[in-house]
Amino acid sequence: MRILGMLVVLWVLVTIVFLLGSVVPSEPARAYAGAGASPQVIAQKRKELGLDQPLAVRYVDYLGRLAQGDLSESVHTHKPVADDIAEALPATLELLFAAVMITVLIGLGVGVATARPRRGTGLLRGALVAGASVPVFTLGLLALFLFYYKLGWFPSGGQVSPGAATVSGPTGFLIVDSLLRGQPEVFFDVLWHLVLPATALALTPALLTARTLRSSLRFSLRQDYARTARAKGLRERDVLWRHALRNSLNAPLTICGLELGGMLAGIAVVETIFAWPGIGLYIDRSIAAGDVPAIAGVTLVTGIVFVFANAIVDLLQLAVDPRLRRLA
Amino acid sequence: MEPVALGQEPVTLSVRRAVLSALGPMERVGVALVLLITVVAALVPLIAPHGPYETVGLAYQSPAQHPLLGTDEVGRDLFSRLLYGLRSSWFSALVVVSAGAVIGLAIGLLAGVRGGWVDTVLMRITDAGLALPGPIIAIAVAVALGPSLIHTLIAVTVVWWPWYARIVRGETRAIVVRPHFDAARLAGVGRFRLAFRHVLPGALPAVVIAASVDLGYLVLTLAGLSFLGLGAPPPAPELGAMAYQGLDSLFSFPWIPLAPAFAVFVLAAAANMAGDGLRDLLEDV
Repeated sequence: MRILGMLVVLWVLVTIVFLLGSVVPSEPARAYAGAGASPQVIAQKRKELGLDQPLAVRYVDYLGRLAQGDLSESVHTHKPVADDIAEALPATLELLFAAVMITVLIGLGVGVATARPRRGTGLLRGALVAGASVPVFTLGLLALFLFYYKLGWFPSGGQVSPGAATVSGPTGFLIVDSLLRGQPEVFFDVLWHLVLPATALALTPALLTARTLRSSLRFSLRQDYARTARAKGLRERDVLWRHALRNSLNAPLTICGLELGGMLAGIAVVETIFAWPGIGLYIDRSIAAGDVPAIAGVTLVTGIVFVFANAIVDLLQLAVDPRLRRLA
Repeated sequence: MEPVALGQEPVTLSVRRAVLSALGPMERVGVALVLLITVVAALVPLIAPHGPYETVGLAYQSPAQHPLLGTDEVGRDLFSRLLYGLRSSWFSALVVVSAGAVIGLAIGLLAGVRGGWVDTVLMRITDAGLALPGPIIAIAVAVALGPSLIHTLIAVTVVWWPWYARIVRGETRAIVVRPHFDAARLAGVGRFRLAFRHVLPGALPAVVIAASVDLGYLVLTLAGLSFLGLGAPPPAPELGAMAYQGLDSLFSFPWIPLAPAFAVFVLAAAANMAGDGLRDLLEDV
């Protein structure tokens, strides 16, 4: 049932992307042919691209090409979009993975640390709300200004230092390949470059997660089983970690999964500020070039990443909460 | 005491009381800020010292040389542009929230009142919309439509309504099983009137609460899109775009990118502070 739902969502995604790529722009052929192209050239380009065919034919044609991994050609790099994305995806997945780790760590830490009522709760809530209101680019700019320009603790951008040894490995993930090839200095260099962009990307989702975890923990700590645990003499810390926490993870997990959608868009902003050579930078350049095929391809790929990530969140929830298993 | 019509009074009163009780000190500050921002945004053409496109002096003047925030990279008054950008950001977010709420309301009402296959089809579409990464789809739609503020607002609205449709449909399903709805239906009230007169008033509070909770998130999303060049094309005064264009001056004239970036934060924080207490309310409605 769940897999069927996922397939429907993916089909909707593919259809949206198809419609965007072929119907909405006034004249896709003009974009390929260039601004000053004559009507004859555009007409010929239309024929070449199959744009003179009826919509239904083009849709079937599009699905066929998609099945072969063909995402058509980028207007601004003049390379197949699929190749461009394959080249940029590993760097973005590294950034995304680091950001998700930071989100989980901060979300869990802050959520648990602030769950028990104590003085200053009002201020804390204010701080969490304010923290979740900082735009990604404001964080990025501030981090760059403070930690690179003023303090010099972190590099200004890029994935590795300019003079670093080049690593080309089996996986394409620099952070994995550098270890596989036995070059730890590159590994640490990449980590060092990851800190600022990943933190900028993660902070808002982390605070939202913390806020959700905090309110569900507070609910759990008021339940009868928590009182029972206290009554049998458990320390408050054990009540929280062993009894309340596991019962409170559902809502924060859902928020984490949904926040990923915001993160995927935030990646474009963060990669632009920190010159991180991934999908985000590609999105930024494609927007500047009005490159509809490239954006369509990126939307498809990130949409698939998003749908699968949320399926993983679903599975995690089932693992955490046996009650859901009975429902499913 | 004034006599009040039975059946109407308790609902409205309890909603109002619930909203008031949800407003802690932080929420009150937030509401005050939101009102202040709205008034300022409306009056910007009157209170801004200069026009947004007007060159007032040399480029890159510091706040000390030119009040209040200095000049930008072509010598325009940064403070005035900030005010105009604030106006554009704030009203854009309000427009998208309203449009998303109205579309969601229409679809949710239709699905909830009609039921049957209409409900199934509309809610499948809604669910699919909710299962996709909204901001990314918004970027794609905005790029496909071409760069302009209206196109960006359309693009964000396209991905924003499903969540309202979900809420309204849930409320509607809860209302149509109530006796007052059956009574109206049996009295021969038409479908249209049923939906608008007998369901809409009950579903509205949840939508209003959802919209106020959403506002801050929308400010952030729109500013992010503007930063990426999806908004009014330059030289329009937009906070996200101003932060992007100021990127080159970050180390030499940091206030040029940081002032608009900070302004977005103030807008989002005000909206989120006002909406935060209401969030819990939405879950009990």
